[in-house]
Amino acid sequence: MKAIQLMNQSCWFNFISAILLFSFSAMVHADGVVVDKVYHPYVLPNEREVEWRLFSLQDSEDNKFAQRFAYGQSLTDSLMLELYLVGERDANDNFKLSSYEIEARWMLTEQGEYWADWGLLFEIEKEHRQKNWEITSGVLIEKEFGRTSLTLNGFIIYEWGNTIISEFETEFRLQYRYRYLEQFQPAIELYSGENYLGIGPAFMGIQRFNGQKQLKWEAGFITGVDSRSKGHILRMAIEYEF
Amino acid sequence: MIDKLLKGFLNAYTLTVLINLLCLFSLTAEAKRPEFHLALKNHLFYPAKITIPRNKKVKLVILNHDHSVEEFDSFDLNREKVLFPKQEAIIFIGPLPEGEYQFFGEYHPNSARGKVIVVDTQIPKKELDDETALKEGEQHVN
Repeated sequence: MKAIQLMNQSCWFNFISAILLFSFSAMVHADGVVVDKVYHPYVLPNEREVEWRLFSLQDSEDNKFAQRFAYGQSLTDSLMLELYLVGERDANDNFKLSSYEIEARWMLTEQGEYWADWGLLFEIEKEHRQKNWEITSGVLIEKEFGRTSLTLNGFIIYEWGNTIISEFETEFRLQYRYRYLEQFQPAIELYSGENYLGIGPAFMGIQRFNGQKQLKWEAGFITGVDSRSKGHILRMAIEYEF
Repeated sequence: MIDKLLKGFLNAYTLTVLINLLCLFSLTAEAKRPEFHLALKNHLFYPAKITIPRNKKVKLVILNHDHSVEEFDSFDLNREKVLFPKQEAIIFIGPLPEGEYQFFGEYHPNSARGKVIVVDTQIPKKELDDETALKEGEQHVN
């Protein structure tokens, strides 16, 4: 019994260490925006999905706008592969393809089996018409507390190319969600990395249809909370699984 | 280019090793859990009601006797699991407070329905034998 208690304490220690590690290391570098999506560490077999994501940043100096279109498919019981096309608005207000990426999400543990649920994420991104590359590996953790779920994502990113400086970056994302209704689940999200720290409310929901068909949506409004993190970011995502 | 990719993958590999070590702590902390068995036959769950103890993590073993795939789904339990034909699937639920938690099969939501009843006792209701389970399974929770 004491051994189990000790192990549980070590789990808490790991959990808090992971948060601190990514929170502090996230303050090192700066050249992008980290608000995107908080990933859950789960994969279902036979799952196929199309996804659309929107990101809009507004502050006194900047006005960024990006969209992502993706197709994903689970390859095994625990591995999901997703292909993305990323479009951004350029300096001339033209919206065009900016990059493409491939992403693999790997479910490491069965949901609810252990103290927390674990997954990994790997991603390779290449800028369109530029020889700039980015490779990401990340840890996805989710822990249930009654009707609420805490999800943590920690990423280590290495980027290099002709027009960017080769460097390692880190990002941390957190979502604390209340599973109120299937169609309406309020949450708080926190994003940290690349000299950015933002927090704000988010809402998500799911509508089920026949079989595995379901529509998921997410929206978040993230506000920079320190002197280096200005402006407001609106993020939205719609995902259709079939 | 190759050396950059290798560097990136090396970072991914290091991270994976780190996480596996972290997971090891989580995995070793788990004690043996009470097991409850369910069957899916002709798109019906048998038994359709199972009683489990409060604040205890339990293991549900579901055997899909049907020739078609089904998906166990429950917003109350926060679980989704694909039940392949003629195969067993394992779902871990809890620890849960007292109450009733609905579940259903996504492909046959009108017939494949059931509920988990969580009660305040250390000794859960004895698992039903196959014959009793079949009878109880017929009392659906539609």
